[in-house]
Amino acid sequence: MEKKFEIKDLITVGIFTALYFAITFAVACIGFIPIFMVFMPLLVPIFAGIPLMLYFSKIKHFGMVTITSVIIAVLMFITGHPYPVFIFCIGAGLLTETVLKTGHYQSIKSCVIGSSTFSLWLLGMLIAFFFGFREAYLNSLVDGYGQEYVDKMTGYTPTWVFFAMIAMCIIGGLIGGLLGAKVLKKHFRKAGMA
Amino acid sequence: MIAFKNVTFAYSATDADGRAVEQGSISGLDLTIQNGEFVVLTGGSGCGKTTVTRLINGLIPHYYNGNRNGEVLIDGESVPDTPVFETAKKVGSVFQNPLSQFFNVNTTDEIAFAAENQCCEPAEISKAITETAASMQIEKLLDRNIFELSGGEKQIIACAGINVLSPDIIVLDEPSSNLDSEAIEKLKAVLTDWKSQGKTIVIAEHRLYFLRELADRMLILENGRITKELTAAEIKALTISDTEKLGIRPMMRPEIHCSHQNKDIQGDVLLLEDFCFTYKDGKHGINIPRLELPANRIIAIIGHNGAGKSTLARNICGLERRCRGTLTLNGKKLKAKDRLHHCYMIMQDVNHQLFTESVRDEVMLSMTDKSLTDEQKIKRADEILSQLDLIEYADTHHMALSGGQKQRTAIASGIASSKPVIIFDEPTSGLDLAHMKQVSDQLKKLKDMGKTVIVVTHDHEFILSCCDHIVRLENGCAAENCPLGK
Amino acid sequence: MTFGLSSTSDKSVLKLDPRTKLCLLTAISLIMVGGKTVGAEYILRVICAAIPFILLLTVRHIKSALIYMILLGLSVFCEGSVIPHISGAANLILMIICGILSRFVPGYMMGWYTVRSTSVSEFMTAMDKMHVPYFITIPFSVMFRYFPTLGEEYRSIHDAMKMREIGQSVKNPFTYIEYVLVPIMMSTVRIADELSAASLTKGLCAGGRRTHICQINIRLYDRLLIIGALAMIVLFFVF
Repeated sequence: MEKKFEIKDLITVGIFTALYFAITFAVACIGFIPIFMVFMPLLVPIFAGIPLMLYFSKIKHFGMVTITSVIIAVLMFITGHPYPVFIFCIGAGLLTETVLKTGHYQSIKSCVIGSSTFSLWLLGMLIAFFFGFREAYLNSLVDGYGQEYVDKMTGYTPTWVFFAMIAMCIIGGLIGGLLGAKVLKKHFRKAGMA
Repeated sequence: MIAFKNVTFAYSATDADGRAVEQGSISGLDLTIQNGEFVVLTGGSGCGKTTVTRLINGLIPHYYNGNRNGEVLIDGESVPDTPVFETAKKVGSVFQNPLSQFFNVNTTDEIAFAAENQCCEPAEISKAITETAASMQIEKLLDRNIFELSGGEKQIIACAGINVLSPDIIVLDEPSSNLDSEAIEKLKAVLTDWKSQGKTIVIAEHRLYFLRELADRMLILENGRITKELTAAEIKALTISDTEKLGIRPMMRPEIHCSHQNKDIQGDVLLLEDFCFTYKDGKHGINIPRLELPANRIIAIIGHNGAGKSTLARNICGLERRCRGTLTLNGKKLKAKDRLHHCYMIMQDVNHQLFTESVRDEVMLSMTDKSLTDEQKIKRADEILSQLDLIEYADTHHMALSGGQKQRTAIASGIASSKPVIIFDEPTSGLDLAHMKQVSDQLKKLKDMGKTVIVVTHDHEFILSCCDHIVRLENGCAAENCPLGK
Repeated sequence: MTFGLSSTSDKSVLKLDPRTKLCLLTAISLIMVGGKTVGAEYILRVICAAIPFILLLTVRHIKSALIYMILLGLSVFCEGSVIPHISGAANLILMIICGILSRFVPGYMMGWYTVRSTSVSEFMTAMDKMHVPYFITIPFSVMFRYFPTLGEEYRSIHDAMKMREIGQSVKNPFTYIEYVLVPIMMSTVRIADELSAASLTKGLCAGGRRTHICQINIRLYDRLLIIGALAMIVLFFVF
């Protein structure tokens, strides 16, 4: 099953990863407005899901999605995002790979589900903000402010936020995937390009 | 030596309904190219000349799939049975589109790329690059960002990359289609140099004038077969009426000059005032304090790359908001923002300006008049489409159309927008004679409809076929503005 | 859009190997995000915060270095002197903002330095020397090459929409997105095709060995910095 990658596959991976990343970046820029920041895990997959579906339709081999996730992880890391992004990216990549494989890289349904599982990598970027940050920050506060104050702080950033984010990623990914499938049908099938 | 023995090839593709179809390309080709020979392949679009180049560099069958018969041999070795990686040592390739043939962002890396792939010693590659740069006089292009270069400079970088590995055979697929006359001269110098080194050169081209002295043999293809073979002496003897009969572009570059009669513009005038604009890099721009153009004529804007032709077109169209110039049309003075409502541009790459899922929708998208009902819009759209011979494609997606049909779709939506000024940016780059004539007919039709047509072009043959007036730009200034002398 | 590594070779005072930069980046990201603000770790944090500042100065990004220093200084000052004196919602908001700034900005600035000071070819050579497999390195370089193309494509499509006056007439945001994305996706497919063909004729081969004309070397100061970064990571985990 492990087939050697052809140049065409690798170039497809590179170009579509660039497109995916650029759209993610463009949407994430809106995230600098604090209210949108919270909805980033919902918005990014909706927009980025459209080209992602075209990418999935070009995938014929095992491993291409995983490479995309590794590349995104490295890129996030060299631009200064903290390390947990690695775990989440590669995890989401492998999960998506499995989903696509069960659809034999052809089924539209598994592509849509794949779009939603792939979006989970975004948690890697956010988890550091909300949790890695919280634990370490609160620990460091214990010395200065005392346990009581820290307990109060923990209440402000509750754990359910994390699950809300997972839900947003999955829902956003599904919407993006469905939109992408619609665009594929409307434009690319007609032109014989997908 | 390259030998084709009874080669037939058909591409496999999928049509709009997802069925597999075969597109015939070449059939029963027998051809022998000697070492050191300079062969020109020409003929209308889709005649199979690109396919011949792909058979030589091994992209067929290693990249493009299809049904293949017969043998292709280089020095007795079969190309289809050799990995592309090995063929690349012997055959260098230059492609049409400078945008998509580069793998690197840095020019020096790109020149070194082919040699790096063959695992040459880094020190030797660097030496070869220095030598190539000196002989081609491109030192100032080294270690630059490729995206800052002009189309001509990009094509020269592609040629420099070939020089470093120095293969015996070089195939070029329409290398001149995006170049201006100055860049074509540079390309010609490179080709002359290669020929003197004894390299075998196979070039597929529509524009032929720069190959006149270089070609040893010219093959005219039609429907995948060689219909005519010309020797060097015969090529040099070709007159304009000969090439016209053969259906190919002329072997000489027609000169363009001003007519000295009727210098004054008759009829309505398009007045450009205060068109001064500089790009943020501070180098390129235009500086035209006043320019009078005849309305309802076809006006060609000519000049070298970087003279500001496209900048002027963009400014007339109103795409540069910082431009403070005004255009006076029918007594109305239009600022940049207003000009967007009056000018329509057909861009060089029309793919960028087509958005919807069918040709009819594309035309209807341009009808912004809210008083029209949908039925009226459809009726009007179908009228325009029949005028441009597109009615049978009304429900087709634009991506399934040919280049010329896409361009006509863009023209159709320009007509639908009922804007009085229509601007074309290099409409004939890379077109064969028949298609070029088709475009010039479209322009004449637009003129008959009462539109003012402005064409940015460096295609002299095209200018002579339809334009009435020329504006020559030099360093951003209008150096000449006169009716075209016939 | 100016993400992506720089395209031409770097003209900075202190030329670091990309591997050194990655090492420092790891150390900074580990220590700044996870570290406490007291004791020995405090000293590590100060060192980590200073590294991007100095490195930015070496590539003459003086403005960004200063902005970085001011941001960091302000947030540290607030954490130490302002936050303890206020309470309620203002306290919480200020604390979150300062906490995020003081922890994440050094990493971002180090990332910014890495991106600005490394050329694509240096990065590719470094990846090859670190024995990163070809199926990662090839897509990577394609990606860096495609970013500028994407920018060009977007600008052309944007112009076309302006010229055809589509922007104003489209009320539905999804239609607008479709009009922008579909042409970009179409040209993405086309460029992927043409680029693959061109790369094959230039002898690019999956899994084949290649040489690099770009020379990168681990010099003495690279060694010192790598050892320093590793020492900091070890210290961080010991404490």
